[in-house]
Amino acid sequence: MENTVSQAEKLKQLTEKELNKPKFTVKEFKRQWILVVISALYVIYGIIFYYLPLLGWIMAFQNFKYHEGFTGSKFVGFDKFKFLFSDGTFLQVIRNTFAMGVLNLFFGTVVAIAFAILLNEVRNRHFKKAIQTISYLPHFLSWIIVVSIVHDALTSTGIINELLLKFGIVDKAYPFLAKPGWFWPIVTLSNLWKETGWNAIIYLAAITAIDPCLYESASIDGAGRFQKMRYITLPSLRPTIMILLIMNLGNVLNAGFELQYLLGNGLVQNVSKTIDIYVLDWAINARNLDYSLGTAAGIFKTAVSLTLIVIANLIAKHKGDERLF
Amino acid sequence: MAREDVVFTVFNTIFLILFAVVTLYPVLNTLAYSFNDGNDAVRGGVHLWPRKWSLDNYKEILIERKGIRIGAKITVYRTVLGTITSLAANALLSFILSRKKFLFKSSLSLFWVITMYASGGLIPVMILYKYLHLTDSFWVYVVPGMVSAFNVMVMRTYMNGIPDSLEESAQLEGAGYMRIFWSIITPLCKPVYATIALFVAVYHWNAWFDAMLYNRLSPEYTTLQFELQKLLTSVSASTGGQTSGTTVTEAAANKITPVTIRAAASIATMAPIIALYPFLQRYFVTGLTIGGVKE
Amino acid sequence: MKAKKLFSLALAAVMVASCVAAAGCGKKSKYTEFTMFAAMAGKEKDDNNEIMELIAEKTGVKVKETWLTGQDAGEAIGSIIASGKLPDFIDGGDGCVQLYENKMLVAWDDYLEKYPNLKEMYTEKEWDQFRMSDGKIYWANVFGNHYKEDTTTGHNGEAFWIQARVLEWDGYPDIQTLDQYFDLLERYAAANPTMPDGTPVIPYTCLCEDWKYYCLENAPMFLDGYPNDGCVIVNVDAGVDNPKIVDYNTTETAKTYFAKLNEEYNKGAIDPDFATQTYDEYIAKLSTGRVLGLCDQYWDFAYSIMGPFAEERNDATDGKAYRLDKIGCDYVPLGLTIEAGMEQEWHSYGDELNKASGCAVTTSCKNPDLAFEFLSRLLDQDIHDLRFWGIKDVDYLVDSNGMYYRTEEMRENWKSDSYNAKHCCQYSYMPQWRGRSKDGINYMMPDEQPAEFLATLSEPLKKCFEAYGAGNYADMVGSRVCDQNPWYPMWSWSNSISNETAGGIAWQKMGETKHYWLPKVVMSADFETDWAAYMDAYNAVHPEDFLAEAQAECEKRLADSKT
Repeated sequence: MENTVSQAEKLKQLTEKELNKPKFTVKEFKRQWILVVISALYVIYGIIFYYLPLLGWIMAFQNFKYHEGFTGSKFVGFDKFKFLFSDGTFLQVIRNTFAMGVLNLFFGTVVAIAFAILLNEVRNRHFKKAIQTISYLPHFLSWIIVVSIVHDALTSTGIINELLLKFGIVDKAYPFLAKPGWFWPIVTLSNLWKETGWNAIIYLAAITAIDPCLYESASIDGAGRFQKMRYITLPSLRPTIMILLIMNLGNVLNAGFELQYLLGNGLVQNVSKTIDIYVLDWAINARNLDYSLGTAAGIFKTAVSLTLIVIANLIAKHKGDERLF
Repeated sequence: MAREDVVFTVFNTIFLILFAVVTLYPVLNTLAYSFNDGNDAVRGGVHLWPRKWSLDNYKEILIERKGIRIGAKITVYRTVLGTITSLAANALLSFILSRKKFLFKSSLSLFWVITMYASGGLIPVMILYKYLHLTDSFWVYVVPGMVSAFNVMVMRTYMNGIPDSLEESAQLEGAGYMRIFWSIITPLCKPVYATIALFVAVYHWNAWFDAMLYNRLSPEYTTLQFELQKLLTSVSASTGGQTSGTTVTEAAANKITPVTIRAAASIATMAPIIALYPFLQRYFVTGLTIGGVKE
Repeated sequence: MKAKKLFSLALAAVMVASCVAAAGCGKKSKYTEFTMFAAMAGKEKDDNNEIMELIAEKTGVKVKETWLTGQDAGEAIGSIIASGKLPDFIDGGDGCVQLYENKMLVAWDDYLEKYPNLKEMYTEKEWDQFRMSDGKIYWANVFGNHYKEDTTTGHNGEAFWIQARVLEWDGYPDIQTLDQYFDLLERYAAANPTMPDGTPVIPYTCLCEDWKYYCLENAPMFLDGYPNDGCVIVNVDAGVDNPKIVDYNTTETAKTYFAKLNEEYNKGAIDPDFATQTYDEYIAKLSTGRVLGLCDQYWDFAYSIMGPFAEERNDATDGKAYRLDKIGCDYVPLGLTIEAGMEQEWHSYGDELNKASGCAVTTSCKNPDLAFEFLSRLLDQDIHDLRFWGIKDVDYLVDSNGMYYRTEEMRENWKSDSYNAKHCCQYSYMPQWRGRSKDGINYMMPDEQPAEFLATLSEPLKKCFEAYGAGNYADMVGSRVCDQNPWYPMWSWSNSISNETAGGIAWQKMGETKHYWLPKVVMSADFETDWAAYMDAYNAVHPEDFLAEAQAECEKRLADSKT
């Protein structure tokens, strides 16, 4: 056991050393020329397809009208941002989005990892394959279908209330969908239901990269199942977990649109509306085609995302973990 | 086997079976709806078995319609071509970013990471594609989305886990970077390649929004999912008329998508992916022994 | 490995080649092919649609229609504008103005003179209402426009609906007020608590989802006897020249109405899930026939439940087969008022002109003259009959008096989606007529042909109409017959008011507030307190800004009608 641990530690130190920035020398540059050339192609591609459209951010500072174009539309400075941040509803939707994003990120990650590890412990190949195949199937169903099933189950005559009534836990059907307090848990659970199997795929792939010798030597040292999970599987997954955590942390404000839109109703709107729904309500609909407001909201989301991943990246760097950049 | 092991195995099996049952339900429910009569299903309450059998839903979506045929063809093309090009592009970039000695490793990573979170929005992208002549063309499906930072980062992480000693010894033997990429890294990365290929293929298979945005007036480049979407959001346009109502016209009135058609479309979409899956699955479920990797 | 890779590369190359090839060889049609986009949901026609082919033979033009998919109308128009590629014809819905502002539409004016068929659609005065800021006409609304006389049989608008069997059970009573209505529903439900299959009936339900919460919120406007201006009441007590905008959300009637709903909810007469149900669930509920009463606009629920109501069912507890429409589950509209004996305008007689949207020809069209000629030809009676009646002897028969009629099979065909896709071609968002046919015998649309209309009614419905001495749905509502005011309908304004003004912002906020509070007050255990809290929240979002702009718009429309 100790043997493996020290080995892993050694490996870590080694990587850390190498992670130190390579020195820029002409010789090194020449040695890597092919990498540099290819990188340059990627940069050109990236600039065209990802960075050029960012010029559109100019819209956030204009009262953009399509027929007036980027050059002709009237500049309004920070008016659009002022509008957003002076609207109590917008602050509310930021809270909602953030809360649901964090809940999804946390539970989504933990449950997917747990599932991957437990599945990995299964010895019977056919059983393993079958379970895995079944688990990711809901991913292919659209939210409309999943939400209609969830909705159905939670109405006053739905299966959940039927069970609660049967076992005498409640004496009158409980209106889950009308209670703001239940909305976030329902969203989190729906996400888990639909995406756990799919999210576990990456972790399953990462588990296959673990050198079987590690398990073998651990067994020889008398390590049990849990010890192997704890000291080999999990640490080996650590880089993958970290990188996905950091990347998804940047996505917490993209906590969704469809699910909340379909599941929400007037009574729970104070907790159900996300930034994307807000943009739909206020900027992009039949009455308003206010790309400026939509873009301003987008810029805000980007700013938050980048701040979050920079912080997360710094922490990862500090701890010597896998990081994004 | 130790007692601890037996207990664990039993509980683990029970747990996984429960989990499978719970996740299988929506799929079976959808399957049941897809074989149920449309009018009957409007009442709801179909669970695991159709109440009134009917094949009409599948007839409706798979009927001899030109759009469906062309869409199916284009979707297959874009899935195959898109997956190959995207996998190659992502793998190569991941390879570069996972070279520990690469001089611009950090800045190039940041360059791509930013693309994940910053977007100019719909309008600038439309204008750009128009200038690049990507609208009304097949290439809009393949070229713009070729590199995905998310996938690159996942692959890079995997490649980082491959011991450097392999690269070093190859270099000593005079192998260049491209050679190392092709002969050493790629064979070891099968599981992650399979994963990413699956992600990309699923994306292409399901994509329809791009078809609508960029090829709205070019039916020769429609995609299968776009055709299905049209079917799902369609109504009987026969009832044209203006409501005296709060909004919309009467045609939008019937905008109830028959649940059964929706279900059949979902099943028809899932089927090919499920068929493909076992081929990829072996790479990341069965496990892979990386020979000669030991220090 | 290598071989595999090479194989896939080769495969890719082949595919690319065939893609390019496929793009190159489009078949040339002998007709001019136009495209049309309507910013509505719709169903595409098959490419070799039979009637489309016949119309093409007559006009030399075929139009490929495309519809809204997965996008909001405004969004779709926005992306079409950005892409710069327009179809030849477009109905942009509420986005029409955007198209005009972007100078993407062709003016109708010259062509109106050239094609009298088109000109005939509206009077000079009505055409003027379509004029944009540059004084030209860019689109024409094609719906609800009656040729010569109003022959409406249906009531497409809002009403409190009740199942025919409930009225029959009580001997067809005269129901005028909310109290009578709910009283009847309760009594019926107490006497007949279950359906044939044993499930309990639901006396009343109400849809609140998204914008369809009008089912809950705008009844006070009608209950006070006003027509469907949608967003406000226009009070004309001081004369038609002195209209005054009134907020129906804060009237005494509104409070009485919601108090009544609250009372009924607490009695258990209202569906407990009403506030959270989705549209699909709502329709599902209605199609079981369990719901005795509801408030909604006809088109929103009726078409969706026709199929299920006509199904033969075998799940009755007594084992007998039955059909919901045959046992009287079909809905009948009632024109309720807040007090008995008031006049009301739930049903609006005459054509409503929504000038905010319509059919337009775009600047991308290479041959606008042909496009307008085609639109004009569509109004020729022979082509109009092809569009809405179909092919003679296939889709309809003609009796010795020249009267068109259909057999049951033809009606069924016409209802079927697949038959529609391969056979019918209505060009439903292009100019069309309702009313009397130009032959003087028939009607433009089958659903207005009296014999056809009656043939589609179930027995209990016919009996019910007879009992009340009503010939059709509109008679059943029994609204006051009156001319429309020049500003009517105000909803064509509020549906397109943007957030750039204080009034627009207030309108949006009013909606959000009502969405939250209205179901809450209905479900409240303490109505008075919650109503007061609702009023506070409502007044805090400055509805006066919205009302002021509504007043201005109303006066503007009034002034416009006079010049």
